[in-house]
Amino acid sequence: MNGTPRILNRILIGILGAKLLVIGTLLILLATVPAVGRWWQAWSAGMWGGARGLFDRTRFPGGTESWLWIVMVVLLLLVIGVMVAWLAQQGKGRANLLVAEDDAGEVPGNVRIGGGVAEQALRAALADRPDLAGATVATYEFAGEPALRIRVQPRQGVAPHILAAEVSALVEALDAVIGKRTPVLIHIGSGARSRFGRAERVR
Amino acid sequence: MSQAAERHYGDAGSPEAAATGTQAAGSGPAAGPGSGSGGAVMDRVLARETTSSRAPAAVIAAVLVIGLCVYALLETAVRAVGQPPWLIDPQTAAEKVIALPAGVPPLLLGVTGAVLFAAGLFFFLNAVLPGRRARHVLADPRAAVVVDDEVIASALARRARLAANVTQEQVMVVVSRRQVLVNVRPTSGVPLRATDVQAAVQSELRDMALSPLPEVRVNLASSGVIGA
Repeated sequence: MNGTPRILNRILIGILGAKLLVIGTLLILLATVPAVGRWWQAWSAGMWGGARGLFDRTRFPGGTESWLWIVMVVLLLLVIGVMVAWLAQQGKGRANLLVAEDDAGEVPGNVRIGGGVAEQALRAALADRPDLAGATVATYEFAGEPALRIRVQPRQGVAPHILAAEVSALVEALDAVIGKRTPVLIHIGSGARSRFGRAERVR
Repeated sequence: MSQAAERHYGDAGSPEAAATGTQAAGSGPAAGPGSGSGGAVMDRVLARETTSSRAPAAVIAAVLVIGLCVYALLETAVRAVGQPPWLIDPQTAAEKVIALPAGVPPLLLGVTGAVLFAAGLFFFLNAVLPGRRARHVLADPRAAVVVDDEVIASALARRARLAANVTQEQVMVVVSRRQVLVNVRPTSGVPLRATDVQAAVQSELRDMALSPLPEVRVNLASSGVIGA
């Protein structure tokens, strides 16, 4: 329901995982197989020689340090920035407005209904039920339009299909009030409160 | 990976309800029917809700990379302005890495490699595996509904307990993607037919209209419980 970039997550995690796998394998081989150690020393010495030559050729005119260090600082800052941006993408997608439409009436202007209307109405309707240990309602923006996410935590032994039908009846009543059918996700889950709370025996 | 070995117990004290999420069997996308409004959009929502977002692994990965970059940045910046290094000079570090099997005890090297390998495996499997959550989709004309397997297990356990006329502690239900396993320990001396329990659980499952629809298996324990 939220806007977590799932494919990007998979790709970036996969790249990091593959790199760690390669480095780990190399370290284990270096520790156990002597031939790998000789190959590694020869190969990496060649690479380091090339890098050293590059640093020598890029010194500041008249100075001793290479300006490649500055480039590296900029590159590292760039990577950090990209990582922070990636972090900020996780779990985003909360919205404030449930409806924002041009009213077709004679009065000029827009009609806006905040997500809090639906959230509080549904929460109040679900609050007093004895078969629920908790309920939360949140507005998200999914595929460019607002959608409601209703998470209910039933007590043990509550039949989920009956609960879903009752919540969905509430949602239909809300549709009538708001005058628009919003996409709704009902998540019937379990948490610590439903797990350790008393079971509902009588209804 | 996190979903593969995840095991939910309905109650810490009594094993009445338990659900496991397995991702061994089954193929195809998890999106099913049960989306009355919005059609394609709700199917996408359901597909997303029944698979893991991998946000925790992503956060760990990003924090790791940021930490590494900040340290490298510090040393590089110190080097760029010609100051003495904080922990190790980049050049010295590179020379040590080149000389690697020498200079470090092989045991330490091997263990470091194993730790990095394990971390890599965690991230890689997280990225590659389908990452199904222990949830089922429930058909509903108005809204998209997903139910945790744990809730299904606890409802089925209640039904099986009523059908078998036993106490809460004598029933354990395990719900996975394609199978529901009902374990019943009968009360000693009270006859109990597995078909009754099976029929009750099956009718409850049919009412739920889950997708994918799991099969029911009932196990009656050979030894009974005394005085329940």
